[in-house]
Amino acid sequence: MLSAKMKRYMSCTLIVLMTTAGIQATANAALIGTSQVASEASVELQRDELRTLFAREDVAKQLSAMGVDPADAQERVSSLSDAEVAQLHDNVKDLPAGAGALGTIALVLLILILLDVAGVTDIFPRV
Amino acid sequence: MNSYPPKTGACTWLCHVPFYLAILLLAGCAATPQTEALLSGREEGAVLEHELVDVPFFPQDEYQCGPAALATVLADSGVAVTPKQLVSMVYVPERKGSFQVEMMAAARRHDRIPYRIEPELKAVMTEVKAGHPVLVLQNLGLDWYPRWHYAVVVGYDVASGDFILRSGDIKRRVTAFKAFENTWGRSQFWGFVLLKPGELPASGREKDYFLAVSEYAEQGTEEHVYAAMAAGLERWPESKYLLMGVGNHYARNQELEHAVMAYEKVLEVEPDYAPAHNNLAWVLGEQGNYAAARLHAEKAVELGGPYLEQYRLTLSELEKVR
Repeated sequence: MLSAKMKRYMSCTLIVLMTTAGIQATANAALIGTSQVASEASVELQRDELRTLFAREDVAKQLSAMGVDPADAQERVSSLSDAEVAQLHDNVKDLPAGAGALGTIALVLLILILLDVAGVTDIFPRV
Repeated sequence: MNSYPPKTGACTWLCHVPFYLAILLLAGCAATPQTEALLSGREEGAVLEHELVDVPFFPQDEYQCGPAALATVLADSGVAVTPKQLVSMVYVPERKGSFQVEMMAAARRHDRIPYRIEPELKAVMTEVKAGHPVLVLQNLGLDWYPRWHYAVVVGYDVASGDFILRSGDIKRRVTAFKAFENTWGRSQFWGFVLLKPGELPASGREKDYFLAVSEYAEQGTEEHVYAAMAAGLERWPESKYLLMGVGNHYARNQELEHAVMAYEKVLEVEPDYAPAHNNLAWVLGEQGNYAAARLHAEKAVELGGPYLEQYRLTLSELEKVR
């Protein structure tokens, strides 16, 4: 059995511990942590990569051939939401670089379809 | 794009054929533009040859190129480890191979920061020249008949047009630029170097570096993460991301003046960066400078963004002490 004195001592310690833990939690809840900064940075990185992709000579050419101004496409990347950037990036990142003409056409078609899905363009009508 | 999902384990013969790779084949043989540029001397200022002869060699057991390659770069980076010790961390018996994310996670568990290099032969050379062997994923087979393989690039020679690799059971495997560009290219040029906390890659970009460090931060010690962020700031003194990381380190350790300096520096670089306003408000509040703190908290709320709720919380905490 614990003595009354011991019990009092322990409950005091517990109260102090719990209070400090509480303060710590509120305090940290308001600070933007490094992992949050990182998730933002990674979206920015994906956006940069999409811009680079759209600027690639063969892709730009193919976009033009399909009637989309490459400069417009660049602007569209800026106006995509974070979630849309992630989605588009996810879908095009596996496509091989320098895959030849057919690869580029497939890539550009995919980009256009995805931009359509994201509501950025409206090329493929839903019947 | 410079990321490639680990769809398959390496070192295996698998018949996973994504449709676009079939397109690649239809489009004919892959061109090797990087090799051509390097060999025709269009790349200025490159060092012509270098070999890291002291990089250890662990001949692989059957299929286990992942553990062998990882042990090679870890041992070179000063971590005493054998492939056998890594098998349980990175080898998937069912796949007879290792996944890329697990290779990187295992490196982090040994207190090293895996840094994905740019998808360029030039980046491989730059790293090798700086003393960093490069772990690469190759497909030694064909896209429709893949033979995934991890190896470590330890040298190159522009005159003969060759890379030198620790690969499988060959200590000094010589691979022509062209063959390497093809085999490495099939993994979307996936490869990394290992950095000790505080060490920088010879090639590379600020955002990639910050992201590599922040992934490492989940298990690295506070001091090592700080060392890595601070080292990055020496090369990229205006990186808002690295400044935020360093500021957060100071804030957590109650080194409030240093934290204020870091966040203020972020705002010099990017006056409208809401997270910096928020964190500066928090630190100023800790210092008892409530008036200034509220101004920054209000600015963060005004700017908004994905973390708006947290900015509101900061502001409401500060309103309480009005």
